Amino acid sequence: MGEYRMFSSVTLDALPTGSRARIINVAAPGRWSYRLLQMGFVPGSIVEVIVNNGAGPVVVRVMGVTVSLGRGIARRILVEPLR
Amino acid sequence: MGDRGETREITVAVMGQPNVGKSTLFNILTGRNIHVANWPGVTVEKHEGWRLYRGYSIHFVDLPGIYGLSASTLEEVIARNYLLSGKPDVVLVLVDSTIPERTMYLLIEVLELFPKTIIVFTKADLAHAHGVHINPSILSHRLGVPVVMVSSVTGLGFYELLDTIVKVYEGRVGRRDVLRVDYGELEAFIDGVVEAVEGSEVSKQYPVRWVSVRLLEGDSELLEKVRACCGEDVVRKVLGIRDEVIRIFHRRPEELFALKRFNYLNNLLSKAVVRVGRLGIHRFFDKLFLNTLYGPFISLAFLLLVFIIVFTLNTGFPLNIVFESMGLSELACFLEDYSLGSLMEYAIGFLGDLVGSAVPGNQEWLHSLVVDGVIGGVGAVLAFLPLIFLVSLFLAILEDSGIAPRIAVSLHILFKRIGLSGHAVFPIVLSLGCNVPGVIATRATPSFRERLRLITTLAFIPCQARLVVVLAFASAIRGVYGLAIVLLAYLVSFTVFAIINKLLLVYDVRRGYSEEPELLLELPPVHKPLPKVVWWLTWDSTKHFLKKAGSIIFLLSIIVWFLLYYTPALEPASSPSESIGALLASVFSPLLYPLGLDSRQAWMMTFALMVGFIAKEAVIGTLSIISGEEDMATALRGVIGLNDAQIASLTLFTILYVPCLATIAVVYMESRSWKTTLAVIALMMATAYIVSVLAYLISIAFT
Repeated sequence: MGEYRMFSSVTLDALPTGSRARIINVAAPGRWSYRLLQMGFVPGSIVEVIVNNGAGPVVVRVMGVTVSLGRGIARRILVEPLR
Repeated sequence: MGDRGETREITVAVMGQPNVGKSTLFNILTGRNIHVANWPGVTVEKHEGWRLYRGYSIHFVDLPGIYGLSASTLEEVIARNYLLSGKPDVVLVLVDSTIPERTMYLLIEVLELFPKTIIVFTKADLAHAHGVHINPSILSHRLGVPVVMVSSVTGLGFYELLDTIVKVYEGRVGRRDVLRVDYGELEAFIDGVVEAVEGSEVSKQYPVRWVSVRLLEGDSELLEKVRACCGEDVVRKVLGIRDEVIRIFHRRPEELFALKRFNYLNNLLSKAVVRVGRLGIHRFFDKLFLNTLYGPFISLAFLLLVFIIVFTLNTGFPLNIVFESMGLSELACFLEDYSLGSLMEYAIGFLGDLVGSAVPGNQEWLHSLVVDGVIGGVGAVLAFLPLIFLVSLFLAILEDSGIAPRIAVSLHILFKRIGLSGHAVFPIVLSLGCNVPGVIATRATPSFRERLRLITTLAFIPCQARLVVVLAFASAIRGVYGLAIVLLAYLVSFTVFAIINKLLLVYDVRRGYSEEPELLLELPPVHKPLPKVVWWLTWDSTKHFLKKAGSIIFLLSIIVWFLLYYTPALEPASSPSESIGALLASVFSPLLYPLGLDSRQAWMMTFALMVGFIAKEAVIGTLSIISGEEDMATALRGVIGLNDAQIASLTLFTILYVPCLATIAVVYMESRSWKTTLAVIALMMATAYIVSVLAYLISIAFT
């Protein structure tokens, strides 16, 4: 893709509970890519991790809505941790 | 206007993202005057309703809840094709007042396609509580689209909405043209695609700008249409423009378009929506259910609680057993006698006596038909009424309160391996008490294939009735082996359930139905369920059962009655052993020979098992009648003369062989396919047979 990272980035599944991050990119389009965009997972959106226990779904809050993501999907979302 | 008393029809499409309160509003708008069918050619439900208002007959069509208008889900394609079909006159797009920025995305996509749209803000009563203040006139002015604030709880905005529908239909308010969002640097590329498809079939069927934007987004459905009408060259050209965007901006076009739409939205709402402080959001339930360590336990405990309440109210089980073993026999009996199921049984018995005494005494066959056949059949259906009602009630409460999806998410990881999602847990837990509400509960499962797999395999979960039979049989086996066979029976059932689900999953994946269990799920805020909504959900479910399953159960009951009360010569049989059913049993009894049974033993067991088709508990009763012994141990060992190995393998056979009549009725009701229903029966028969014969051979080899 050619985009180089100027800032620290990590995938959403690695963020601990309670942390906040800004979405950089949703890598590798899959079945869910359109749905993710429609639900507000767009570059620049702020997400807040409500539950992430290392296994099982990751629960985040985005645009005021609570969403549960499978780990596979969370692994494909590149984010920049805030604070 | 309608003159000469004609009512003109306005067709209104109702759209909204999931969880915005669409179905509640739809119910109110139509006054519950609803008809349910399927969208043509697919398994997605179509809800339509009607209401007369100011000389118009308003025809409401509920479109599936969708987040946007892409081609990634069947529901979205159905919705956008309906918008383009020319059938709707007016479109309502519902927006959640408490989260307008997220839920209005759909509105933008709709307005780019359909101008005669009304924005409906739902949950207006909650907006203030969430610190959200919406100025509808500013928004309306900026978009040129009427805006109505409604509240399904308070009734706010209801007539205003109906009036606005009429006004838009009559052309007095609203947009005349579609919304044109300025996509900035992407405009040049959109023009490129427009040029590529201009003049083609596709540009005639769809608005050109709209279809070009979609093609640039990589819309699979529309790309196929272009390929079909214009050939591979045009497709390659369009995809080339798409690749150029990716090359220049390092982002896929759909990401950029989504961004631009959200920016447009934020711009729009910044003037029309004011946020005053933020309410402390209740994360309690999320922390509780969704914690990986104890979340699943809490979920299961919760479900167990619901299970105990529902089934105890219905027949006293399982609390009656608990009390019995604690020595509180009186309390146990009280629970049983005053349970809703017992009361219903009493009422049916009373009705039977009443009707029976009204039939002239000399007509034996008529008396039997009316009392045993008809009332018996009706009774079979009504016997389920308390259970179905209670289960529907609790499921509705769990669904409307927002707890259900949290339970599904917390247990998801358990079921993933066999191709089921967390939604499978309700049906499974309920099936432990009775398969009938279990099968009905599969309705909450969003994935159609998963639902079908569940419906097919749920009957393998041993229900309360089967437990009764298993316990009775086990009492005939000496010592600790009796207990072992009960545990083994459950173990085998669950293992078979898991294996067959895994096999069906593999089959589905091979066939290309590779739908993974829910991986992306919105969790609506946990809130106190609205009694009105809970009642609607409960009543709809119960009514559906009575009408659909009820008629099948009744019909099958009559048939079974006939088979057991008439001889092959079509005369009333003096005892069941002379009935047509008995004859059928002797035809099928050789199937049990591999278990080492002789013809007499085989006949008795086959007959009892055939009667077990009606209701599993009937197996015990039938064996008692045929053998003349009340006690199962004596009946099986003494009178029929079976040995341990045979009793053990027959126990396994009984727990697996066929779902009861009522379960078959609901399997048909939920799957709407005879093929599936027969497949379930065949699958269970085959499995039961193989397992029991294997068990017999194994136990022979070890003794």
